[in-house]
Amino acid sequence: MKKTRVLMFFLLFLFVWVELGCSGARHSRSDRRAHYRSEQNYEVEITGVGQDGTKTMKIWGYGRNVEDAILQAKMNAVAAVIFRGVPGGHGAAATPAILRDPNAIDKHADYFESFFEPDGTFLRFLNLTTDGMPSGQDRLRMNNPRGYKVAIYAQVLYDNLRRQLEADGIARRLDHGF
Amino acid sequence: MRTFITVIVFSLIALNLFGQARRPTIMVVPSDQYCISRGYKMEFESMGRTQTLPDYKAAMQNDADLRLVITKMGEIMADRGFPLKDLEMELRNMEREAAETAMIASSSGAQVAETPIDILKRTAQADIILDLSFDILKQGPHRYITFNLRGLDAYTSKQVSGAAGAGKPSSAASPELLLEEAVLSHMDGFNAGLMRHFDDMFANGREVSVMVRVWEDWYDGDLETYYYYDGVEMELLEHIEDWFFDNTVEGRFSLADASHTMMRLEQVRIPMMTVDRRGRERAVDTRGFVSDLRRHLRQNFDIDSRIYMRGLGEAWLIVGER
Repeated sequence: MKKTRVLMFFLLFLFVWVELGCSGARHSRSDRRAHYRSEQNYEVEITGVGQDGTKTMKIWGYGRNVEDAILQAKMNAVAAVIFRGVPGGHGAAATPAILRDPNAIDKHADYFESFFEPDGTFLRFLNLTTDGMPSGQDRLRMNNPRGYKVAIYAQVLYDNLRRQLEADGIARRLDHGF
Repeated sequence: MRTFITVIVFSLIALNLFGQARRPTIMVVPSDQYCISRGYKMEFESMGRTQTLPDYKAAMQNDADLRLVITKMGEIMADRGFPLKDLEMELRNMEREAAETAMIASSSGAQVAETPIDILKRTAQADIILDLSFDILKQGPHRYITFNLRGLDAYTSKQVSGAAGAGKPSSAASPELLLEEAVLSHMDGFNAGLMRHFDDMFANGREVSVMVRVWEDWYDGDLETYYYYDGVEMELLEHIEDWFFDNTVEGRFSLADASHTMMRLEQVRIPMMTVDRRGRERAVDTRGFVSDLRRHLRQNFDIDSRIYMRGLGEAWLIVGER
């Protein structure tokens, strides 16, 4: 009897220790929220070779409701090709970032703040190919924090975007200096 | 005051006009593998061995796919500020130039001077060669494209950018459409590589090679003869090395090999721009850079020399006489 009680205490101790150990590795709710809201958290997948000067991709966004998540996904699509580039796939080669300087987002903070306003200039370089609200696997409901994660299929007007950033003095032309 | 403002305005305009590096010329050339595997080749006997060379003219005249790819690439590069030099036009132009050179005569009946070396060097040239090959392959009912594009710096023969890969197999799309897709898919990545190369050129200078050699009938000495210059007595070879250290970007060059009759200098980083004797800012090329060395030897060591260009990025300075 005594042996059984000792064994039970030992197992209880082991269970509590393992739980505490694992919970240390988990992210807090605020951490997760910050991750979802991060400006550079792009979950993007190229879906094929775009027509002349465009890139087609599937991109995810997070939001308190579906509309917010779609808006964030639109911003992410444009931001991904400007700052990070998009990996290749589905027969398309990788798309390089338009800005090669890793600190470009901080250097031109004022420019990009107005560029990425909800009704900002970025909308001129985006065509949506998703009809209606995302559904099924492209629309995930999250509990902690509460909100939605949605995917949209977007066509980014890559060449037009590059030309605009070159004209605004944010990106350098290939023939810069010659 | 008005004169002062006018001078400032004209100076700024002049800086804008002259203060630019020479824009590299770019030309698409089908790879040897592409031409030879499709039968666009020339075979001839040389020293008892059969040599096979690509026949670019035949390739351009007969291969519609190749023309399509080059046109699409040209369109994209022109949009990026680098209109491509056209291989077909360049070949045609060289043929016409040869014919015209043979026909032109002065009023006294003299012909245009042309050495055998001039004739040998009459080839299509560009600063950056886009070496292209592609294949239309089949996988069951599907067709797909393999695409290989290499950007080669004609100065150093180094690959400065590249794009290669296979497209998505399709049974519906025509080969022309698949080829267009391949170009569209790869050109942005390729241009990003070119941009890195240009950034490196502006930061560290253009990379070239220089060879210093000696005429065999130069009796005054050789590269190991001692000369007194700038308060120091050293071998001519060391004086030349000092000159390279002073005139390359951040003193970057490497003396790959040297003897009393030759110096081989590699990875010589020459500046993109320089200010000439009239105070104008000018683009520097290999010949201009080596001309400065020739002038230095003439003025300070009383040594004559001759420059011989081997391609765009390699010059020989043969010292002893002109």
